[in-house]
Amino acid sequence: MHRTEDVLATLGMVRQHKLDVRTVTMGVDLYPCASPDINELCDRIRARLTKYAGRLREVCVEVEGRYGIPIVNRRIAVSPIAGVAACHTSEGYLAVARTLDEVVAEVGVDLVGGFTALVQKGWTDGDRRLIEVLPEVLSTTKRVCASVNVGTTAAGINMDAISLLGHVLKDAAERTRSHDGFGCAKLVIFGNAPNDNPFMAGAFHGVGEPDCVINIGVSGPGVVKAAVEDLVRNAPLRPTLGEIAEEIKSTAFRVTRVGELIGREVAARLGVAFGIVDLSLAPTPQVGDSVGEILQAMGVKRLGGPGSTAALALLNDAVKKGGAFASSSVGGLSGAFVAVSEDSALAAAVESGDLTLAKLEAMTAVCSVGLDMIAVPGDTDAETLSALIADEVAIGVINHKTTAVRIIPVPGKAAGERAVFGGLFGEMIILPIHAAGGSTDFVRHGGRIPAPLSSLRN
Amino acid sequence: MYNYVVTVTAADRVGIVHSVTGTVRDEGGNVLELSQTVMRGFFTIILAAEFPERLDPRVLEAAIIEKGRKYKLTVAVIEAEANPAPSPVVNGERFILTVLGNDNPGNIHGIAGCLAERGVNIVDLHARADGPIFSLVMEAFLPQDLSPGDVRVALENFGKGLGLEAFVQHENIFLATTETGPVRVGATSNSPEGAAVAPH
Repeated sequence: MHRTEDVLATLGMVRQHKLDVRTVTMGVDLYPCASPDINELCDRIRARLTKYAGRLREVCVEVEGRYGIPIVNRRIAVSPIAGVAACHTSEGYLAVARTLDEVVAEVGVDLVGGFTALVQKGWTDGDRRLIEVLPEVLSTTKRVCASVNVGTTAAGINMDAISLLGHVLKDAAERTRSHDGFGCAKLVIFGNAPNDNPFMAGAFHGVGEPDCVINIGVSGPGVVKAAVEDLVRNAPLRPTLGEIAEEIKSTAFRVTRVGELIGREVAARLGVAFGIVDLSLAPTPQVGDSVGEILQAMGVKRLGGPGSTAALALLNDAVKKGGAFASSSVGGLSGAFVAVSEDSALAAAVESGDLTLAKLEAMTAVCSVGLDMIAVPGDTDAETLSALIADEVAIGVINHKTTAVRIIPVPGKAAGERAVFGGLFGEMIILPIHAAGGSTDFVRHGGRIPAPLSSLRN
Repeated sequence: MYNYVVTVTAADRVGIVHSVTGTVRDEGGNVLELSQTVMRGFFTIILAAEFPERLDPRVLEAAIIEKGRKYKLTVAVIEAEANPAPSPVVNGERFILTVLGNDNPGNIHGIAGCLAERGVNIVDLHARADGPIFSLVMEAFLPQDLSPGDVRVALENFGKGLGLEAFVQHENIFLATTETGPVRVGATSNSPEGAAVAPH
């Protein structure tokens, strides 16, 4: 007999604290689709995605019913399209984007990631064409998500690509002006991008992955927050931070196990490989589903104030440790996301003036992802955006971790005004960029920032 | 060998298990399986034992009462078949059914009725009322052609107007979140007696 307390504790995570499987992401290798004929390429992509993902929706519904765990999103990640369509013109890349947009809608998937180029050490003509068409792709498709990996610890940082991406962001924002530059929310610029990240917008099916794989993104900021709150409220003495870390670890264990179970079951039913479970605390704008609220439960009442970085470091580390004990298949990003507009507590801290861009950058040194879902003034020049990207990628490259930038220069709006992206993307007050406009010469040097000494490990 | 099932109920005191199993041993029996619980101050035990010779259940019953006289035991003994009938649901899977909400007279009766109509076999159940709050957790085998969603809908229909919420979840979710071994998928056991683990 299962202990009633255990049953009710697990049920409570779902029922009261919003534990869910945030995404079941099917990774599909599209390299076998390559063809010099663009129509053939698109036909092959359509056939291959339909073959693998045709039953994804149905199977997810079955598994959801079997375990009573909500599966919020079903998504597809494909091989970096820069390589799949390497021999094609810009028009060819656009045709592939439109095909992806259509076919994932047909199989009942809300987003597809992998309109991607990996240019950390240099770029091919195909990579460059893909990056150049990004503004059009991001503004004319609904479901296509893009990413560009511009740096790795092994290769250094491609400043030529970063320089171009500053202009891409400006263009994509302008083309989606009526939606506060929302096109930029579908573009992630990475350092040390993981090959198996299931979370959008940065998911792609990396080199070295099998034909088809199921990766899982579990979330659960609400569960972790509830656990910390219970500990603080009910402990006979004020718990130490070590005790809080232990509580987060054991909660992360349970959350990870839920993800692995769902992932293995979906993969088994579809007859494909199970890949990884990514235990990332991914917030939504709903109150109670916030990473910021976890830090507040730990005692940091003013998010962005002193203590925020240390608390986030503790949280991120404890989550990873709990996940690592739970499963040998933990991958992706597996940490805490500080996606500002998507996190009601972080957005409120920006509004109150407590949380600044500089503090966010510091916080990203100790957690997963990076400067995520941050609205900045629309008149920010492209080079300043590029320099901001370079700063964030440098943090990842030097520290052997993933960092990323998903930043939105909101057209026609200034710091202090509100940007509204809607739905799970939330809203926030536009953050000013301190000392903007002085980085142009640095960015225009171009070239590559060499790989750090710590990359020479062989 | 001859098999008997013994049930004993009494106000909870230290030493009842010792007394009952001692009598079984003294009468020549060997305990095969035993389950005991205490609920609201009352002790209850069910045990299965085998004996080399056939005996009159009333004799064993009287012996247990007599040796446990100070505990004021209520005892019942029945003779069981050596090879019990197979489980009513032989190909089903084990699910955990949870019902939470307001306490009402007839909650358990109504829930059990929903399940019986659909061929669901309850194998373990714990329910309690804490003031106005009712909670029930049971393990049950669902026939293979019955979806957990259908059971949940039936329970929710019953609970509508009574302030009850129902959840039907495969037991693997609870194994995954409470055990440290490898995560299991598929059926963990295909009968109440079995324990086959599907590879993954």
